[in-house]
Amino acid sequence: MQLNRTEKIIDMNNETGQFSPGDPESQAGGSHKFNVGAGLADRKHRLHLKNETPCLKVSDFNLFYGADQALKNINMIIPQERVTAFIGPSGCGKSTLLRCFNRMNDLIDIVKTEGSIYLHEQDIYNKKVNVAELRRRIGMVFQKPNPFPKSVYENVAYGLRIQGVRDRHKLDDAVENSLRSAALWDEVKDRLNTNALGLSGGQQQRLVIARAIAIEPEILLLDEPASALDPISTLKIEELIHELKNNYTIVIVTHNMQQAARVSDYTAYMYIGEIIEYTDTNTLFTNPGKKMTEDYITGRYG
Amino acid sequence: MSSNKMTPHISRAFDQDLENIRTRVMEMGGLIEQQLENALKGLVDNEVETAESVLKAEYRVNSMEVSIDEDCTQILAKRQPAAGDLRLVMAVGKTITDLERVGDEAQKIAKMAIELSQKSGPKSYYIGINSMGNHVRKMLRGSLDAFARMDSKAALEVASQEPESDDQYAALLRQMITYMIEDPRSITSVLDAIWCARSLERVGDHARNICEYTIYLVEGKDVRHISLDQIAREIGSEDNP
Amino acid sequence: MSLRAWYKSGDPFIWLNAGAVAVSILLVVGLLYIIAVNGLGHFWPNAVVGLDYQYDEDNSMRILGEMVDHETVPLTRFEERIAAFVPEGQEIVGRTLFKVGNRREFNADFRWILDPLQSAHVYPEEATVIERREWGNFYGYVRDIKVGGEPLNLTGDRPWTELRERVDEAQRLFNEVRHIEKNLIGDINYRIEQLRLEEKRLRLRGVEDEQAYHDIERQVAEQQAAYDDLLGKLGELKKDLASVSMVGELSDGRQVEISMADIVRAYRPNAMGFFDKVGFYFEKLWEFVSDEPREANTEGGIFPAIFGTVMMVMIMAVMVTPFGVIAAVYMREYARQGLVTRAIRIAVNNLAGVPSIVYGIFGLGFFVYFLGGTIDELFYTAALPQPTFGTPGIFWASLTLAILTLPVVIVSTEEGLTRVPRSIREGSLALGATKAETLWRTVLPMSASAMMTGLILAVARAAGEVAPLMLVGVVKLAPSLPLDGNFPYLHLERKFMHLGFHIYDVGFQSPNVEAARPLVYATSLLLVLIIIVLNLTAIRIRNRLREKFRAAEQN
Repeated sequence: MQLNRTEKIIDMNNETGQFSPGDPESQAGGSHKFNVGAGLADRKHRLHLKNETPCLKVSDFNLFYGADQALKNINMIIPQERVTAFIGPSGCGKSTLLRCFNRMNDLIDIVKTEGSIYLHEQDIYNKKVNVAELRRRIGMVFQKPNPFPKSVYENVAYGLRIQGVRDRHKLDDAVENSLRSAALWDEVKDRLNTNALGLSGGQQQRLVIARAIAIEPEILLLDEPASALDPISTLKIEELIHELKNNYTIVIVTHNMQQAARVSDYTAYMYIGEIIEYTDTNTLFTNPGKKMTEDYITGRYG
Repeated sequence: MSSNKMTPHISRAFDQDLENIRTRVMEMGGLIEQQLENALKGLVDNEVETAESVLKAEYRVNSMEVSIDEDCTQILAKRQPAAGDLRLVMAVGKTITDLERVGDEAQKIAKMAIELSQKSGPKSYYIGINSMGNHVRKMLRGSLDAFARMDSKAALEVASQEPESDDQYAALLRQMITYMIEDPRSITSVLDAIWCARSLERVGDHARNICEYTIYLVEGKDVRHISLDQIAREIGSEDNP
Repeated sequence: MSLRAWYKSGDPFIWLNAGAVAVSILLVVGLLYIIAVNGLGHFWPNAVVGLDYQYDEDNSMRILGEMVDHETVPLTRFEERIAAFVPEGQEIVGRTLFKVGNRREFNADFRWILDPLQSAHVYPEEATVIERREWGNFYGYVRDIKVGGEPLNLTGDRPWTELRERVDEAQRLFNEVRHIEKNLIGDINYRIEQLRLEEKRLRLRGVEDEQAYHDIERQVAEQQAAYDDLLGKLGELKKDLASVSMVGELSDGRQVEISMADIVRAYRPNAMGFFDKVGFYFEKLWEFVSDEPREANTEGGIFPAIFGTVMMVMIMAVMVTPFGVIAAVYMREYARQGLVTRAIRIAVNNLAGVPSIVYGIFGLGFFVYFLGGTIDELFYTAALPQPTFGTPGIFWASLTLAILTLPVVIVSTEEGLTRVPRSIREGSLALGATKAETLWRTVLPMSASAMMTGLILAVARAAGEVAPLMLVGVVKLAPSLPLDGNFPYLHLERKFMHLGFHIYDVGFQSPNVEAARPLVYATSLLLVLIIIVLNLTAIRIRNRLREKFRAAEQN
């Protein structure tokens, strides 16, 4: 068997050997004047933070849990209509930072913040900001699917009902559109009035995303949205993120580096409250600039 | 950023896998060097047996390529390497392709050597072929060394020797043409010799490719299809950001 | 297997635990069994036994009655007189308790008779039991019927058949009398009282308008006329009732005359078949739960007590739930979790351990005298010095129990609020809901089952509490229910009857302990049943709520 296979390979190689003059390498080797090839041209189309419209801008941001500093002098922009991923080991502050964007950390008494985060031109940590209103503009999806123990319909309509929408027609439309956007409509259209807790984990998570986009936020914050799901549901969520990218600015925190690599345009690596490296995802995952980043993404951390 | 300086992976099996393909590439490189040397020896010294040994060993080259390739695929599938690891696997995958082609060139030279040994004709141009052969062999060894040591500077140096092999090829070609003009009967055997020279020139190209992969592996920069000056600048920019 | 190995295998603990469970189940079942047997047997029509009682050497008397109890006692307790009847060497002797009724003639309903002094038992078919409204049961024979004082001189079985017809007729008349007395005249009295208060109120306000007083006077006169009318009707009915009477013969041959107005029912247990007895049993049972008590609570039913208990528990539930829930929500959701909150929480928990009579004292002092007195002064000035709310009543009783059970509701609601996962709250907040909206739309519905649990515990405790109620509103016999047809229908100031207190009263305050004992058991059983029903209802509601939110709590 070993021999047979080898012979076959020899034949193939003979064939390719005859065609070797057509190989691109030989062309390149033949002429050194072939300088600016397709490779360089591609690089100009690469994503770069300098070319992006900032949606959120974090400036000199610090956060303390009591006496412990959880975020240290964060400066970054979150580009508009892109997917930005935060990766890093547990306790590095990536979720904390994410929760700063919709001031979810306000719920914890001992949290103190310094610095500002600007949503477009407005400082969201300004005292005059209406937090509920802010959260309507910046939606959030959590690690574990957390549908309310209500019907599928009521879950999606929840945010609108809070805003005082009573028009049944409007609600119906919003529910359908959101569920369609979340790629869940076909699965639940026949059981809109059954309890949402009866859905599978992946469906619940997409329902929660539908619930978040029903109120049409500008930004979606996803806090490890697929960590509690099976691989197929995870892929569905990732596909959904890919779809939503066209209309929303998405910030995602994930433990799964491959996921960050797959879904995001920009990736920030955080370690103990600091942003170690923040650049476009392609660069970060093939040629990171810092050894710490490289160690982390290649599994040498620790 | 050589792998030697790297902290080990949390998964030691992963370290072993990577180390394994690296050593096997070196092993394959050694075999290819041997093949090339034997083929040249067969040609220049008219040793038919040595040339035939090249043909016999060719299957080992091919099977090594296939098996290293398989290992790379498995690492990709199972470990999903990123950054340096990913570049290593990619570089290995490409390096073995180039090495295999060098092996093919050696095979061609060996075949020519067997054919030429049957024919009469001027053998003086073998000196030129021999010196060119030594040059590309040195390049190949240099590129494999650079790869083994993950030394981008050394790789650049080796790559910069490639134009010389081109020049030697051009000189050799002129010499051959002279021979053919002088003695039209020798045309068939000289043409064969030209094919050999051409093969050696290709080996030089492959060696340069391997250097480029090494630079990609170490610096994370794709330096294919650009001039040596540009390569040098790319490497330099890494040092002085 | 060695003991050590057996001990290490863990089996002993399984046995220990199973044993504890078995003992608990046995206790519960045994308790229910004893109560049920003693209580439910009371309604069964026992056979009437006839026998001769040899009360001394030469004389005997005829006895007719139901066997109620039997026991053995040492012979030495009795005089020589029975020595002749007992074989030599025997040291103990049996004795039987007979219910012989006819309290007026015999001075006691019950009589212990030593077994050796009894002749052979006979079960005369025509022995008749008559339940009376006064003086307990009659045991004897029906001899004749008198109409307007003239005997009809019936013979054979005729007096019995005639009696049954007459009793049915009399029952109808009596119900009419009771309806007039209780409802119609009661209503008129209530209205006259209200008018009187109205007049007094006008006077207090210093209204000079003569017209108003005239109006009231006119209305009082109207009511008075209606009252006189009813009184006349009542007199006639009563005369009708009194005109017929029965002549009965006691076991000792004495003749007694019993007015039809006094007879509740007459039956001949020895002549009844099994199904007659079953029918009779349920009739009595129904009377027990639906009728009012008679004869110092030892006869008749306990409906007012059931009604009072349920009513009080409901009012308590209505008051304690919102109060407890609001307190718990504030403590758990809004208050800063610190030293003060912790102190309050400890205080609330300790409140649950305060003896209930202390709450009774508090209720009496604070609710009845202070709050009630203030309310009377402010709103019921007209009725003073007669207190309206300034006296124990169902409202104060409910309020006292509400305070008593408040800790339970607070603690379990807090528990429920804690169990609502953070992720759900955050989910709601992240959708732009304010804290209040989040609470109202998600958190509270999700902790509803915990609130129900608290309520169940509260109801169970409140329904069984007696001691504090004696201070704040329970009475032995309430003249009217707290809910009736007179505006405003719900009379929260009225006193009420309560099953727990009823048990205490019948069991320990009754002049006729023997007669009352089965009733104590029956009432206890009913109290247990009511608590079970209240609990089951609440548990069902809670389970439905819990089912609805089950998956969410698992998260």
